[in-house]
Amino acid sequence: MLIQVEKLVHTYAPGTPLERTALHEVSLEIGPRERVGILGPTGSGKSTLVQHLAGLLTPTAGRVWLDGIAAHERTARARAQRRRVGLAFQYPEAQIFEQTVFREVAFGPRNLGLEKTEVATRVRWALEMVGLDPATMEARVPFTLSGGEMRRVALASILSLQPEVLILDEPMAGLDPQGRRELLARIQAWQACPEPSRRKETGLTLIVVSHNLDELARVVERVVVLERGKIAADGPARQVLSDGPLLRAAGLDAPQPVALMQMLREAGWPVRTDRLLPEEAADEIAQARRFPYEEILS
Amino acid sequence: MEHVYPLEGDEQIAALQGVDLTVERGEFVALVGSNGSGKSTLARHFNGLLLPTAGRVWVDGLLTSDPRQLWQVRQRVGMVFQNPENQLVASTVEEDVAFGPENHTLPPDEIRRRVDEALSVVGLEDYRTHPPQMLSGGQKQLVAIAGALATRPACIVFDEPTSMLDPPGRRQILEIIRRLNAEESLTVVLITQAMDEAAAARRVLVMDAGRIVMDGPPEEIFEQRERLKALRLSLPPAAEIAQQLRDRGLTLPLGLLTVEALAGALC
Repeated sequence: MLIQVEKLVHTYAPGTPLERTALHEVSLEIGPRERVGILGPTGSGKSTLVQHLAGLLTPTAGRVWLDGIAAHERTARARAQRRRVGLAFQYPEAQIFEQTVFREVAFGPRNLGLEKTEVATRVRWALEMVGLDPATMEARVPFTLSGGEMRRVALASILSLQPEVLILDEPMAGLDPQGRRELLARIQAWQACPEPSRRKETGLTLIVVSHNLDELARVVERVVVLERGKIAADGPARQVLSDGPLLRAAGLDAPQPVALMQMLREAGWPVRTDRLLPEEAADEIAQARRFPYEEILS
Repeated sequence: MEHVYPLEGDEQIAALQGVDLTVERGEFVALVGSNGSGKSTLARHFNGLLLPTAGRVWVDGLLTSDPRQLWQVRQRVGMVFQNPENQLVASTVEEDVAFGPENHTLPPDEIRRRVDEALSVVGLEDYRTHPPQMLSGGQKQLVAIAGALATRPACIVFDEPTSMLDPPGRRQILEIIRRLNAEESLTVVLITQAMDEAAAARRVLVMDAGRIVMDGPPEEIFEQRERLKALRLSLPPAAEIAQQLRDRGLTLPLGLLTVEALAGALC
């Protein structure tokens, strides 16, 4: 799916003392199969933007086009487009309302009018995607789950819709480190090779909103930085995530490997600073150690 | 102590199994573990929000399972949760902070004194008449902390207080936690999924399947990469880089938990 954001403006509570413009003429294009990170401090407009991408808000001005159809329209064809976009909210556990985990995750597929067996297959698949064992989890009552488990169930209920565009707003908050690694790996694998019956020529798009740049660096290839409702940067992840001054200005912390490389560079080491992952930083440092800079300079 | 949650029918889940633990006054303890390992269940026993199925919990010699002592237990141990939205109850910051002391039926002057003091500790004096809804996530969490402080507890249990916050909000909250511990001798129990936050504590407890399986200073705990990995945890990013450098043949001192420390050791 091709997503086009055209001079999008969103103003909350217009004409009241609480009026606040969250997005100022934001323009952006996200193509099929892209993996995009959206960053920015609290209040920068990230959540407003992704709700527009899912067609959940009506623009104050400008448009969001999903394959050429305005996302917010109240028409059948716009509704059909919106179904192709899945948005997992920032507090996904708040959306849980069913009495068992199975019913919760099955709710979306049932609403799509799928066959019973297909619904059951989707539920199992979605629970496995988020690292939960369907055999022991399906009958559980949601309120007996731990915080992290609830979060996974909420995510599974979005995945079971098998959207073509998956938008995750702070998906890792509250998951344990291994759970975060697994979820990212599974989502990446799914993105690379979606279930054959659902595979479309356009492919899957992944949009992740996160404050944790260390984790984001493993997932996305492109990063959009929002600041006070405007796009402050949009480029390859390696370039944007290693731009310390830009990130600091936007109230974000560079990935820790980048921070380390910057310190070493300031101390005179001849190292690249765009090392986003621990293994990349370790390789770069080991390399620099093997050939001390005195030798390189002489 | 043990804690069992009943399920439908005869089934049950043993959330805590044979936990023995002493936290001394003034300690700064981080509690880490995978989802469902029992961290939040354990923490809710510290002020009697949950009572043990077997075993006992004492706070300053007060038994949490004795209804006559529970009020005093709650006065000594405050809680701050993950989602600040769910903890705010009033229409202005100062009313929100006053909620706790009011519940403890203190005289109005005393309530005023405590609210002022708590707001000044977290640096929100200028926001006393603001509606909490208009504050940033980090500021809302500061209001929740001020609310906990206003009952003058000896200990505050923070249950993933930063996981919903952006980096500036996160720094703000960790800074205040560190300060409360160092300057006000507040006992701190910090539950977190961020290993670099746990590394800031002086003692790290690791939970797995309802048990405490590791207990020691962060410098020791975070040297055990494989063990932590098996427990679904990870190292703080700087410690991970240090380990990977050792894998590549570099000799580095132990206990490098921050990029500053690692850069210092390399230069």
